[in-house]
Amino acid sequence: DKPPLLDSWRAWYALVMAALAAELVLFLILTRTFA
Amino acid sequence: MSLLDWLVLGGTLLFIVGYGTWRTRGSHTLDAYLLGNRQAGWWGIGLSIIATQASAVTFLSTPGQAYDDGMRFIQFYFGLPLAMVLIAAVAVPIYQRLQVFTAYEYLETRFDRRTRTLAAVLFLVQRGLSNGLSLYAPALVLSAILGWNVSFTVWLIGGLMISYTVAGGTRAVAVTQQWQVAVIFTGMVVAGYLLVHYLPAGVGFTEAVQVAGFHGKMNLIDFHFDPKDRYNFWTGMTGGLFLALSYFGTDQSQVQRYLSGQSTTESRLGLLMNGLVKVPMQFGILLIGVLLFVFYQFNQPPLTFNIPVREQIAQSPQYARGLHELEKRQTTLFLARREATTELVEALQTENAVLIAAARTHLQTTEAATRGLRTETQTFLRQAAPTAEAKDTDYIFLSFVLRYMPHGLVGLLIAVVLSAAMSSAAAGLNALASTTIIDLYKPSRPHLGELHCVRASRWATIGWGVLGIGFALFAARLENLIQAVNILGSIFYGTILGIFVVAFFMKNIGSRAVFRAAIATQLLIFLLFFTTDIAYLWYNIIGCALVMLLALLSQKTSPEPARAVARPV
Repeated sequence: DKPPLLDSWRAWYALVMAALAAELVLFLILTRTFA
Repeated sequence: MSLLDWLVLGGTLLFIVGYGTWRTRGSHTLDAYLLGNRQAGWWGIGLSIIATQASAVTFLSTPGQAYDDGMRFIQFYFGLPLAMVLIAAVAVPIYQRLQVFTAYEYLETRFDRRTRTLAAVLFLVQRGLSNGLSLYAPALVLSAILGWNVSFTVWLIGGLMISYTVAGGTRAVAVTQQWQVAVIFTGMVVAGYLLVHYLPAGVGFTEAVQVAGFHGKMNLIDFHFDPKDRYNFWTGMTGGLFLALSYFGTDQSQVQRYLSGQSTTESRLGLLMNGLVKVPMQFGILLIGVLLFVFYQFNQPPLTFNIPVREQIAQSPQYARGLHELEKRQTTLFLARREATTELVEALQTENAVLIAAARTHLQTTEAATRGLRTETQTFLRQAAPTAEAKDTDYIFLSFVLRYMPHGLVGLLIAVVLSAAMSSAAAGLNALASTTIIDLYKPSRPHLGELHCVRASRWATIGWGVLGIGFALFAARLENLIQAVNILGSIFYGTILGIFVVAFFMKNIGSRAVFRAAIATQLLIFLLFFTTDIAYLWYNIIGCALVMLLALLSQKTSPEPARAVARPV
């Protein structure tokens, strides 16, 4: 079954991991700025 | 608690329980009772997964942990999104294709019945005990803060939860979880907003984060590897990943949430939703703890947030004077620290480097004195109340709610804690009943009819529910039991994960090899537990790796044919 919104399940998995990567970058910036 | 608070609390809980019971009445088939006729959509599955993991402890301990130790606990969840991807890609299609009721049912098609039974029994022992404790933990805190009787609170949470889970099965758990999540998110957003609103004039969100940063609370990422420290980037990405794989991939209380999906697509999307939401959600809860810390830089905190302990010492002729001395010194120090914190905020607003440096030095001096007093207080409390818990972090959030929140919202926040307790315990209860009937009771009685099995599932739900309540009441007399049960989970998880990893990835391994490997691994893990001081988090990885290695060795030394491809029963 094809997933909704994106072309493939691999694209969905990449999206989840990209979101984690973006969160890590944000957390790194917050840590460097405030800690 | 005012009358309005009681109305909000009672109204919220009764509406959720009543609505859940009414909406899901009359399940007469196993498919309907245990999997809600496999009709769940992705957002319902996603909410259910989130609600199952969010227990009362999440909302009591996590803000307190951030208050005490900063944001670094967030790193524990870094492995979770990858675990969601792996489970969605590998496990979901197999479970869905076989149309199984439990994860362990799959093990019989891949290996044999004894491997299935072993995994099911390990799950039942561990979840049966920890489910009871998830009722006890919030009861303990509510009794300390609100003066509620512990037994009454355990029966209240347990009774409500059993009533709707018995009546409507999995669908009742899912329907109530959707409302419980709504209550939880509303309560936490309101608490966060009010915390910022209560900060003094001139101290906004940015200044609050700067003050928290000065005190080392904004420690979101630490790349320094230390295997004994649970909260750094590397342990999160390894230990956290394996823990998430075990919990979401092999623990029936979670697996049952996505087995109820109407298709592979819906189940996968539900898991991926959790992968997208979980880290930001934990960030929000931890941020509330950090804002609480900043709030108490401007408002005097009690000497200990564990109020009953303070009252107990105040009544003691031997220690009352020492307590008042400490409280007097704490007040003096608090006033000095508030002045220094205000000075720092004003200096930060001028952006003058000289002023900021002077303010930092001033604050550092008061901070050192505060740390000294805190250590002294801990020693004093241990001496004056040796049986009480010296750590008061679990009480911080609710203490704030009760003292500073307006009427009505106190009731809402208590409803958050009770909703979270019920949402996770009901899912556990539902999974315990399913595993008992599907994996232990039904296989040896193939002649049983559908209606009989549904009735047996209801009785199993009642049985596990009462057992959980009994265990929670027993735990009230035995503090060390809580620690023991938490350890028990770590000890079994690695073996169960290892069995599933072999099933999914090592197609040539037969049932005899994996069964021997699992038994040997469990014994080795017990041996490690009693002879070493390895952090519990690593047992997951060690257990999983040992099962894989020993199964491979066993297969090499005494080959046997394997059922390589899982096939529908």
